[in-house]
Amino acid sequence: MATRLPEKEIVVIGGGLTAGLVARRLVPAGREVLVLERGPDWSGSAVGELPHQRDELRWSTYRGMTRRENVETYTLRHSPDEEALPMRQLLSFLPGFGVGGAAQHWNGQTWRFSESDYVLRQHLTERYGAKSIPDGMTIQDWGLTYRDLQPYYEEFEALFGIAGKAGNLKGVRQAGGNPFEPWRATEYPLPPLEMSEASQIFKDATGQLGYEAFPLPAANASQPYRNPDGMQLGQCQYCGHCERFTCEANAKATPASLLFPLVRSRPNFELRAGAEVIRLNTTADGTRLESVSYVDVATGQEFIQPGSLFVLCSYTLSNVRLLLLSKIGTPYDPVTRTGTVGKNYCYQVTSGLNMFFPDRYINPFMGAGALGFVIDDFNNDNFDHTGLGFHGGGYISATQTNGRPIDTRRLPPGTPRWGSAWKKANADWYLRSMSISLHGSNYANARNYMDLDPDYKDQWGRPLLRITFDFDENDALMCRFANGRMEEIAAAAGAKIVSKPGVRKSPYDTRQYQSTHNTGGTIMGADPNSSVVSPHLQSWDVENLFISGASVFPQNSGYNPTGPVGALGLRLAGDLLSYLSDPRRLG
Amino acid sequence: MLPDEPQGLSRRSLLTGAGALGVGAGVVAAAPGAVLVRQAGAEEASPPATASGQAAQPDAVAGYQSLGIEEAAIVEALVAHMWPADDLSPDGVALGIAIFIDRQLAGAYGQGDRLYLSGPFRQGKPEHGYQLACTPEACLKTGLRHLAEISDRRHAAPPDRLTADQLEALLHDISETPPEPGAFDLKAWFNELFYPLFVRGAFADPIYGGNRDKQAWRMIGYPGLPATYTTDMVTWRGRRHPASDTPMSIQDFS
Ligand SMILES: Cc1cc2nc3c(=O)[nH]c(=O)nc-3n(C[C@H](O)[C@H](O)[C@H](O)COP(=O)(O)OP(=O)(O)OC[C@H]3O[C@@H](n4cnc5c(N)ncnc54)[C@H](O)[C@@H]3O)c2cc1C
Ligand code: SF4
Repeated sequence: MATRLPEKEIVVIGGGLTAGLVARRLVPAGREVLVLERGPDWSGSAVGELPHQRDELRWSTYRGMTRRENVETYTLRHSPDEEALPMRQLLSFLPGFGVGGAAQHWNGQTWRFSESDYVLRQHLTERYGAKSIPDGMTIQDWGLTYRDLQPYYEEFEALFGIAGKAGNLKGVRQAGGNPFEPWRATEYPLPPLEMSEASQIFKDATGQLGYEAFPLPAANASQPYRNPDGMQLGQCQYCGHCERFTCEANAKATPASLLFPLVRSRPNFELRAGAEVIRLNTTADGTRLESVSYVDVATGQEFIQPGSLFVLCSYTLSNVRLLLLSKIGTPYDPVTRTGTVGKNYCYQVTSGLNMFFPDRYINPFMGAGALGFVIDDFNNDNFDHTGLGFHGGGYISATQTNGRPIDTRRLPPGTPRWGSAWKKANADWYLRSMSISLHGSNYANARNYMDLDPDYKDQWGRPLLRITFDFDENDALMCRFANGRMEEIAAAAGAKIVSKPGVRKSPYDTRQYQSTHNTGGTIMGADPNSSVVSPHLQSWDVENLFISGASVFPQNSGYNPTGPVGALGLRLAGDLLSYLSDPRRLG
Repeated sequence: MLPDEPQGLSRRSLLTGAGALGVGAGVVAAAPGAVLVRQAGAEEASPPATASGQAAQPDAVAGYQSLGIEEAAIVEALVAHMWPADDLSPDGVALGIAIFIDRQLAGAYGQGDRLYLSGPFRQGKPEHGYQLACTPEACLKTGLRHLAEISDRRHAAPPDRLTADQLEALLHDISETPPEPGAFDLKAWFNELFYPLFVRGAFADPIYGGNRDKQAWRMIGYPGLPATYTTDMVTWRGRRHPASDTPMSIQDFS
């Protein structure tokens, strides 16, 4: 029998990045906030302390900070006419688990999306004509523009102490920054990180080709930093244990270092860890949320938590699954292309090549989550796509994040996989190799979506989320094009040996980590018939429910998602205050 | 030693009284099957093995938890072959890779601690990844059995009695040949189960039993902990960092 608890004003589902952004604003404003997080509170455990923080096997190979698959995983099929199979080990992406969410073990590569991203269909139609957009490419506009988000990007970067170099201050081009950057009001809060040998090689090579490489914007503090809230970050140690780990030096901007400490001791804030939300309960007429049901994982007890305002911050995949399990909204149907929940699931198209330099020490172990030089010339619509047969693109970079030896040992093509020659190649090249990579867009496709699996269940007996996804022709063509640019850069760099970049094409391989940049499924837009939430992230179906995170992106850009996720989260916090003072449909 | 006994170590040969300690090109290998070396933080007391072939110290903690005698013999033969003794390091058994694999099989990973193991079980595409109904431990052992059968069919000998050339050919064969329909998938077994364990055993922190005395780290120049490089980014950019020669592990700080 579930126990009914006293009502809270605001109930936040999930305790990661966007939850932290919401709490940080609403709690000091005197609002009562309860955060329900299914995972543990990591603070004070081995995960963040030396020497155990540097355990590659535990935290990286065995994915120690992420949700255990036997509790909940996802099923995958490559097209709507196949049967899905569960991802029995989650290798391709790593949903967060525990206070801070995925933003506790992220890299920190912090971008603003291009101005064209928010109006993608309109932009491509204007520039290339409606016919250039294939029928199956179900890209949509966001219902807002870059101008609406710009101040929130500014605020997010200040909160998270982003290290970088401006390329465009109020429309004035800045040397050393991204020539394609959307305009910004102020310089980055911190100067760029100190670059590695690999990054220098990349900068020189791209320079020879006429590109202007610039430092990747990083949430790894290049200097000690105090943010506008008075929260403190230490200086990055270039320790090479960033992604998949927490930061031992408190230099990586995370919710647990910057957001939750600000509100934790306030009487009007409560964070319940180990609280797995299993259902959102609507009122009888379905127009409002009345409560959520959650299980206390330490006792197995089920609780009903009533509230007056609900914010779904449980990451892309959980956001969609909870709506479907709770029968909120209309599930998307890929045949009729009607319905909206689960629609436009997108991922990220990545590839890369390795370069080998017999006479140069690259020292790959000195790295940081977002360390590197980048060129943005081939991202999104930064270049003319006429006649290319695809839309989209990506940034090309030499990021040096780590040289952790189980995973990051580059070997020249043709090296045997074992034996003395293999050992020797490891000894010869570990310190003397680097990679260049593409981080590319993934534009929506009518066949890629999420719904509930008919066969497979989680440990509570509820259907798993089924992902129907594959890379399409547009992705493969874009990837092939960008790979060509990477090969030119490798040639200019004068590498002795260069590996061939793979083309990211069908079938999508769940065995390889590609990124935790799953987007879509509760997409935003101005039209209730084609979106789940309004441009203010308010559910079209349930007025007192707001949804936060990359699940609201109508399609994925050629950048990492957390910049706009953060900006949207800050904008949402303001909207929630406005809603609380006058509950209504916003905008 | 039998005439066709490969160089390296065989637990079976020890058990049959034909074993020899210290086989290998000037590299002193530890006793087969009793190879776990725990440095116990005693860095000064036990000088690191070097590329010139100094021995790692034998350890008090030894013996297999998961692997039976025949299984251990095969695993040792594979890791000694795949990580042979040469002027870079002693062989994979002496490096602790077999003990690492054994401990992983007996531990949370091998028991499928976090693996999703609910049915229905369907034959997936390779891109669907692990789709078996068994734990990694059980699956690894099934694969060892299949490997032994093939070896027996081809050479009338178990894998640990093959010559280096025979074993090499066998490993290439199973790692490259797709399975017959309905047959146990040795290709996926090798590439997705055995091989990754082998690599982890070589390169994981020595607390797990492999990479004994950080020899694999030293071989490639990975400094391990403590990894605070703020000023080093400038000082050692483009130069060999001295910490590459003196790696530090979790053991060293525990
Ligand atoms: C290894 C890695 C590297 C990354 N690197 C980058 C990068 O460099 N740049 C970038 O832009 N992005 C990066 N990301 C992505 C980034 O972490 C996410 O975009 C960001 O954390 C999303 O914020 P969120 O609030 O939507 O979700 P999260 O921060 O993941 O928080 C969601 C929380 O909700 C909880 N939750 C889920 N379901 C429930 C439930 N039913 N009940 C209760 N709680 C629930 C989860 O446990 C989790 O803690 C990376 C991610 C990973 C894993
Ligand atoms: S690389 Fe820098 S920011 Fe990342 S974990 Fe290490 S010290 Fe922290």
